[in-house]
Amino acid sequence: MSEERPFAIDLGRLKTREKPSDAASLRAADERAAGLGFVEREPQGKRGRKPSPRTDQVHAKVLPPIATEIAAEARRRGVVQGVLIEEMWQLYKDKSGI
Amino acid sequence: MPVIVIASPKGGAGKSTTAVLLGTELAHAGAPVTMLDCDPNRSLTLWSQRGTVPAGIEVLSGVTEAEIVRTIKPLDQDGQVVIVDLEGVASRLVSRAISQADLVITPMRATTLDATIGARALALIAEEEETLDRRIPHAVVFTMTKGVRSKQHVGIEHSLRRQGVDLIEPALMERVAFSALFEFGGDLRSMPPQGNMEAAIGNAAGFAQAVYGRLVGEPGR
Ligand SMILES: Nc1ncnc2c1ncn2[C@@H]1O[C@H](COP(=O)(O)OP(=O)(O)OP(=O)(O)O)[C@@H](O)[C@H]1O
Ligand SMILES: [Mg+2]
Repeated sequence: MSEERPFAIDLGRLKTREKPSDAASLRAADERAAGLGFVEREPQGKRGRKPSPRTDQVHAKVLPPIATEIAAEARRRGVVQGVLIEEMWQLYKDKSGI
Repeated sequence: MPVIVIASPKGGAGKSTTAVLLGTELAHAGAPVTMLDCDPNRSLTLWSQRGTVPAGIEVLSGVTEAEIVRTIKPLDQDGQVVIVDLEGVASRLVSRAISQADLVITPMRATTLDATIGARALALIAEEEETLDRRIPHAVVFTMTKGVRSKQHVGIEHSLRRQGVDLIEPALMERVAFSALFEFGGDLRSMPPQGNMEAAIGNAAGFAQAVYGRLVGEPGR
């Protein structure tokens, strides 16, 4: 579609700027960042616990008060939170006729 | 050139939504855009696979901490835009992306929790500016805002302004069209109508224009 553009970009004005990327600068930045808790968080090869055999895990991020309620209910029933999500999904499917 | 890094260690603050809105609007306005998906949850990649990726946009997936700097370098050229979407955690990947940024945008919902955790990104930028001895322009955009601003929103806004934080206007309002981007892929213009499309497009374009202004040295108020 070629409807009118709300604004147009002048590519000539998008200029590149020099940024330090030598090893020493990056190492110094890494160190300062680590001091603020921005640390390496990538999976470390084979070390540590084997991945859970239950694949396709859902990692839902929900609002804190809802997370607290879900966690409390799972604890009360003695099930993992995924069981609640499975039940919610069933309800959702029933509701929407999937 | 301009490398725009979308960063907040707060999960669900609206980073990926901001990245997609900005990328699609800048591309619509004529800029070649490369989007780097640095989130192992692959939000941008999923978006790109949902529908047709709009013309002028390329998405690179699965960029890791070891690769981020050398992935950005060759893309950091005059006349093109790089947008980096990060996972909502405090990681070295985040700090390395920021080291290569021309502009860091921290999206936050107008809640105390988002503002508190978002402030960690601002603190990190300040440290990196000092360590690397260069100015790293940065700005906050409120996301999922409501038509009527809550007391909490007004309070957080005042407090950020007092600290001299650059707030991007317009904020990104809570809109069905924005969340539907991840359902349909593509952009707001290609999507089947969701709510008030005209207002949604106006909001996204206004936001992208405000970001463009900052890239070319016309900072907002
Ligand atoms: N302006 C908005 N209007 C409506 N919904 C929104 C808006 N911004 C974000 N959302 C919704 O909020 C949720 C979280 O947004 P998003 O995925 O963009 O956050 P994020 O910061 O990238 O999260 P993560 O830290 O997990 O990467 C998504 O479901 C998204 O669709
Ligand atoms: Mg995201």
